[in-house]
Parts: sequence; C-alpha cells; structure tokens
Amino acid sequence: MYKLFLTLRYLRKRRIAYFAIAAVMLCSAMVLIVMSVMGGFLDLLKTKARGLLGDIIIDNRSYSGFPLYDEFIADISAWPEIEKATPVLYSYGLLRFSETTQTQTVRVVGIRLADVYVVNAFKSGLYYETYYPGTTSLAPQAQPRVGFDVQQTIEIRDERGTRVGTGPRPVLPPEYQAALERSWAAGLRDTLTPPTELTAILRGAGLPEIVGVYDLVDDHGPPRFTGNELPGLIIGRDIIAERLPTAAYKRFWAYPRGCVVALTLLPLSATGTADIPVKQPFRYVDDSRTGIYEIDSQHVYCDFELLQKLLQMHATERVDPETGRTIGTVPGRASQIQVKLRPQVAGRPVRPEAVAQRLSEHYHALAADPRFDLGFDDRLLIDRVEALTWEESQRHIIAPVENERRLVTILFGIISLVAVVLVLCILYMIVLQKTRDIGIVKSIGGSSTGVAAIFVTYGAAVGLVGALSGAALGIVFVHHINEIQDFLTWAFGWRVWSREVYSFDAIPSTVRVEDTVAVIVAAILAATLGSLLAAWRAGAMQPVEALRHE
Amino acid sequence: MSSATRPSAAARPPASADALLVAEAVQKTYAMGRTTLVVLRGCDLRVRAGEFVAIMGKSGSGKSTLLHILGALDVPQDGQVYFGGAPVFAPPGRRRLRTTALDVLSAAERRRIALRRRAFGFVFQFYHLLPELNVLENVLLARMVGTRVLAWPAARAAARADALAILERVGLRDRLRHRPSELSGGERQRVAIARALVHRPQILLADEPTGNLDAENGAALLALLKGLHADGQTIVLVTHDPGVAAQADRVLLLEGGRLRTV
Ligand SMILES: Nc1ncnc2c1ncn2[C@@H]1O[C@H](COP(=O)(O)OP(=O)(O)O)[C@@H](O)[C@H]1O
Ligand SMILES: [Mg+2]
Repeated sequence: MYKLFLTLRYLRKRRIAYFAIAAVMLCSAMVLIVMSVMGGFLDLLKTKARGLLGDIIIDNRSYSGFPLYDEFIADISAWPEIEKATPVLYSYGLLRFSETTQTQTVRVVGIRLADVYVVNAFKSGLYYETYYPGTTSLAPQAQPRVGFDVQQTIEIRDERGTRVGTGPRPVLPPEYQAALERSWAAGLRDTLTPPTELTAILRGAGLPEIVGVYDLVDDHGPPRFTGNELPGLIIGRDIIAERLPTAAYKRFWAYPRGCVVALTLLPLSATGTADIPVKQPFRYVDDSRTGIYEIDSQHVYCDFELLQKLLQMHATERVDPETGRTIGTVPGRASQIQVKLRPQVAGRPVRPEAVAQRLSEHYHALAADPRFDLGFDDRLLIDRVEALTWEESQRHIIAPVENERRLVTILFGIISLVAVVLVLCILYMIVLQKTRDIGIVKSIGGSSTGVAAIFVTYGAAVGLVGALSGAALGIVFVHHINEIQDFLTWAFGWRVWSREVYSFDAIPSTVRVEDTVAVIVAAILAATLGSLLAAWRAGAMQPVEALRHE
Repeated sequence: MSSATRPSAAARPPASADALLVAEAVQKTYAMGRTTLVVLRGCDLRVRAGEFVAIMGKSGSGKSTLLHILGALDVPQDGQVYFGGAPVFAPPGRRRLRTTALDVLSAAERRRIALRRRAFGFVFQFYHLLPELNVLENVLLARMVGTRVLAWPAARAAARADALAILERVGLRDRLRHRPSELSGGERQRVAIARALVHRPQILLADEPTGNLDAENGAALLALLKGLHADGQTIVLVTHDPGVAAQADRVLLLEGGRLRTV
C-alpha cells in the first residue's frame, strides 16, 4: 500500500513533476496533431480524387487523346457493371473577362454535363446549380437578368428591419425564378455567402432570396434574357470569386451570371505542333468547387463536342493527299473516359480492378476491329490506352503521402524522446533529493523492488496524465485548426497552410481512434521507460547509506 | 497504554534459548581506498525478551553500525545474528553485502524485509520522518508497508486505531495533521517512536534518541521509553550519554570493535 500512497503523495507534492507531465502532454499532442493532419490530408486526397474522377479512368496520357471513345462507350454501356461512362477532353487556354483586361491561363475541360453529373461529384460543387437546379447548361444561351414584377408590391426594409418604403418585387426570368422557388421550398439556403442588397431586401420581405450575382434590367421592366446566345462555361470558383476567411466565397458585381468571357485555345495538329489560335466567347453560367485549390484556381469547363471542334479533334473526312478525294473518316478523339460502376451486380460486389482490366483489354481489341478502318497513328494512340481504378490512377500522389505520414510520425516520435529524457532527468533528480526518505522507507520494511515500483508507477502516472491531457489538447487543437490558422493569419499575417502548396483550401484533419489510443499507449510506455533508470537507482540504494545521506 | 492495544511480553512467541536477539562474532569493515577501517571486530550480544539494554561508546566507535546490523538494515562481513533462534544473514561465504533493486528475489533479503516490517522498530537520532506526510500518515506508513493495496481498505481501520492509540501514548493525539516541519525536536522524536511501535515490534532499536534533544525533552523521552519497557517492550538503546544508559537494565560498552559489560 505504501507504494501507491507515496506515489500519489509525491505526484502532488513535487511540483517539478508538472514539467515532466507538460513535456509528455506537448509531445503526445504534437504527434497526434501531425498524425491527424496527415491522415486527414490523405483521406481528403482520396475522396477528392474519387469525386473528381469516378471509379475508373481510361486514359492514354497523350495530349492528342485517343479515338473510338463513343464506340467504346456504346459497347461497355451494355455491361452490367457499368452505370455510366463519359468522355472528357483536356486542353489549355487563355481566359479573358470581357469587362476587364484580366487574362489568365486555364486548363480547359470539355465535358458532357448531364453524364458527368452521374459519373462523379461535379454537380455537388456547382453554386448556381445548387440554388437554381436545372438552370446550369453548357448550351448556347443569353444572359438572364433580374427584373420587376409590377403586379406585386413588397415592403422594403433596411438591415435593422425598419420599413423604409415599398416597391415592385424583383424576380428572375420565369424558369430561373421557378427553379429558385423549388430549391427554396426544399429548404436550401446560402447561409455562408455574405448577403447582397438584393438578398437583404427579399429576406426582409420573407421571399426566396436571389443568391449569387445577376445583372439588373436597365429599364425597371420585367425580367428577361439579353444579349446574343453564347455557349456556357463553368469556371473554377477560385478564378471568379474571392475566398473569405469564413470559407465562404464573395462573388463580384463585375462578373454576374451570364457575363461574357472569352477563351483562346491552341489546337494541336496531328503532328503535335500548335497552329493558329482560336477564340471563342462564352457565358459564365456557374462556378465549380472541388476543394482542391489547384483545380479550382485553374479549371474551366465547357461542352465536350464544342471543345473538340475548337481543337479540331472532331471526326473529319480523310482526304488522299495525292488525289484530293475523300477516302474515309478521321475519328474524333477524347483525352479520357470516366466510368462509374454499379456497386454490385446480381448481389455480388463489383471489383473495380477486375473491371478495369477487362476495359483495357476491350479497348485494345478495338484497334484491330475491322469495323473501324484506323490509321497507324490512331492505332498507336489506342495501344497506349489504359484503364485504372481511381486508386491506381492516384497512386503516384497517394503513396508518397502515405509514406510521408509514416515518416513524419516516426520523426516526431523520435523528437518525443526529449520528453522521455526529461522524465528520466526529473525522476532521477527526485530520487536523489529523496535519498534519505528512501532509506527511511527501507528501514521500516519497504523492499528495494517496492521502492523502485514507486518511481516506475510515478513515471507511468506522469505518462498517463500527460498522455490523456495531450490527447485532449491535440483533439481540441485539430478540431479548431482552421480557426487557429485564421487567427494567426489575422494577428501576424502568417499563413502556415498554403493553399497553393497543399492543394486543399482548408487544413484537413481526421482524428482516428486507433491513432489516439496508439499515441496514449506509446506516451505511457515511454514515460514508464524513462522512469526505469531512476527507479533502479532508488531500488539499489543501501538503506544505511541512504539514511546517512546528508 | 492498555494491554488491549499492546500485547504483553508473555503473549509473544517464546524465544529459543530464552534470548530474542543474539549476535555472534559480528565483524564489519569499511574499505577506505587502500586501507580498510575495521569498525566491529567481533561483537557478541544476547538480548532477552523484555530486556532494556543500553550500548554505550564514544562517537565513531561503531554503535550505529552495530545497531543497523542488529536491525537487519546492514550486513556484516562475518559473524551471525539470530532472531528468535533463526539466522538473519546467509552464511558468510554466500553473503551479499549490498542489496540490489531486485532484493525480493533473494530469500535472505526477503527474510530481513519481513523482520524490519514486523520484528523491529527503529528510532534514529535525526528522527527521519517523511517531510511530505503529516504525523498520522508518518505513523500509518509503517503499517502500510506490510499490507497489500487490496488488503488496505480492510486493514485501515485497525491500523488507524493503533496509530491513534500510540500517538495518544506519546502525547501527540492532537497534532495528527501537522507536518514534521511544524513540530519541535522532542515532538518529532515522539512521532518517530510512535512510528517504530505502531506495528508492535518485538524489539525497539533506538539510536541516540535523545542525542538531539535538550535536557528536559530528553528526560521526557527517557521516561516514555521506561514506561514502554515497564509494559514489556524489549529495547536496545545506543547512546554516548552515561545518564541515559543508566536507565537501562544492562549497559554494554562498545570499545575497540568489541562489546563488554560494565
Ligand atoms: N559507509 C561508510 N563508509 C565508511 N566508513 C563508515 C561508513 N559508515 C560508518 N563509517 C565509519 O564507521 C565508524 C563507526 O561509525 P558509526 O557506527 O556511525 O559510529 P557511532 O554511531 O558510534 O558514532 C566511523 O568511523 C564512521 O566514519
Ligand atoms: Mg551513531
């Protein structure tokens, strides 16, 4: 009983033990934070990759793309495992906003919007499509403008809710207004974006808020579409809007929905050289956020067929260079096919690796298919086509991060040895200070092993208290890590997490139970280990010598 | 002290050959660099149950060393000590002079630990109380030492009653919550005596208990010891003060590493 009693008493009376506890606490918190942030980074990387790409990606890693994508998709759509497949085209271009001279290089992605909605999580990252469902389209369209419904008079209140007058009700063109009212009725609210004058007025009147930025009609007349019809363009959110520290985005009056932007593209010839640039005006119909900064600050999305035509990758007639006569067709090309799988077929789960393997084989078989009379170049492009699961396709990104997580955890664990040394020093010091007490305890019948046990228990207790408080500290820190970062940025202008470097715009983190338990157990073991030397020293003291100690 | 809380001498197990504690040819030397300091050259001693024996000697003559060996705190190079007829140390050839941190692995050490827990009670010149513990806790510690954690809740009440009784006896019943630093020298020494007696040892070993006290406190302490002896407590007391030694039944002189009767 004396062991437990003295351990507890020494814990309470020896203030210096608090330093050891603090060291263990900080080290366990540090390791846990590192593990959680790296783990969260990894998790986010995986979910984002999957959300962006679908289950299987078919690609040949060539800027020239590959042919027969539609024929291939038609074939595989009959497979029971395939839910949907869609071609994607990638290119580069210059984006220019018509109102300003601002120009920016962008990655242009050609998509079939309706298909992409099915294949990956693109739709959930769209802003206007969320609040005005069904209105985002890549087809040619005019600009929708907010007008007034003179039949309805609404009360206009200022921000304090005081009535300042009445006026006609602002409304969007009917299909847009109907879409808004549908999402409003379904309970969708944009609580993040700061209110505009328009949303404030509508909110004051208790009407569906027209969120986002729309141009107003010039004449106080009814809502309508203006301007010529131009194809739609979805723009990465970090290109068109400004991210606020609250994680909301601020859209600018200069860039209302439907405003004109121009894209300049460089088509590549079959030989891989850039010819004459082509310019195409678009209307900004929506903005997309994947959460990966590199994508959201660089990607714009337009219609697949349109981009193909602009890049001259669409199907054309093949002309005999000598006779000038048409001898067949050059097939159109795509850069990638994204595939969504059904989770199971006939009650059995679908294995993506196996399906990817079969998809590759099927594509290669197309090269020799007599149905298509392919040129040598096209066959070469098809030969390089490969189907990979999203995990495999992202392995080159995910595997290094996994390794890094392990490495950093080990490194921080090694750094945590400092805490072990500190526990050792402090306990050793206590043992030396308590030499006479050890002699006394032995003289009244305490065994050496018992005295040693006092200090081992002491070390374990330091470890336990330190590890538990460290885990708590780590969890709280991780939970508020973005607030802490925003505070640091605000107070010192010091941004630890760079969106540009780490892709994600917020610091990700996942506190895993198994990580927490591992850190706690390791900290307790380490502190106990640190106490062994001091405990041995205490146990090996000769009672008489300890009693004679000055 | 009532006989209800302290067993009488007759209630204790009979010592073999009527001597409770026997020392035979005990030798102790200290290695001092190249030379060796011979402190005990061969001490013989027999202490019967209920006896009050005083050992006198000049400072540095080896009194404390002898008492530590008698109380199984120290190990002599040669000679043997018997408690209740049983040897306390291993035969000289197989004797380890130093304890290790794993002393519970050695049978001889285990026996000595058991003796310290139950048979002996030590009182030191410099009190040797634990500064972090209050009076009651210092006394109770001597009972905790022999009790397992799980057995403590059941044993606690009895231990506490014994501790309170013995503290009453030494006149510190009203100072239970005081720290040693809040007590006078005489009070501290009385706490030390309470601690040495709370487990009802067969022998009280006192090493110059009055050495640090003024005349008045010293006399009071001596009176306390005499009272304990009158109740049947066996006492071995070490002192350099003839006045203190005169209170004992028998006085021995330690001189030149040997004990002789005066
Ligand atoms: N650990 C030790 N190492 C060396 N010499 C010691 C040690 N302990 C005691 N001595 C010596 O042994 C002698 C006897 O000491 P001690 O038993 O304390 O004498 P006393 O109690 O009679 O004053 C002294 O000369 C002392 O210096
Ligand atoms: Mg002495």
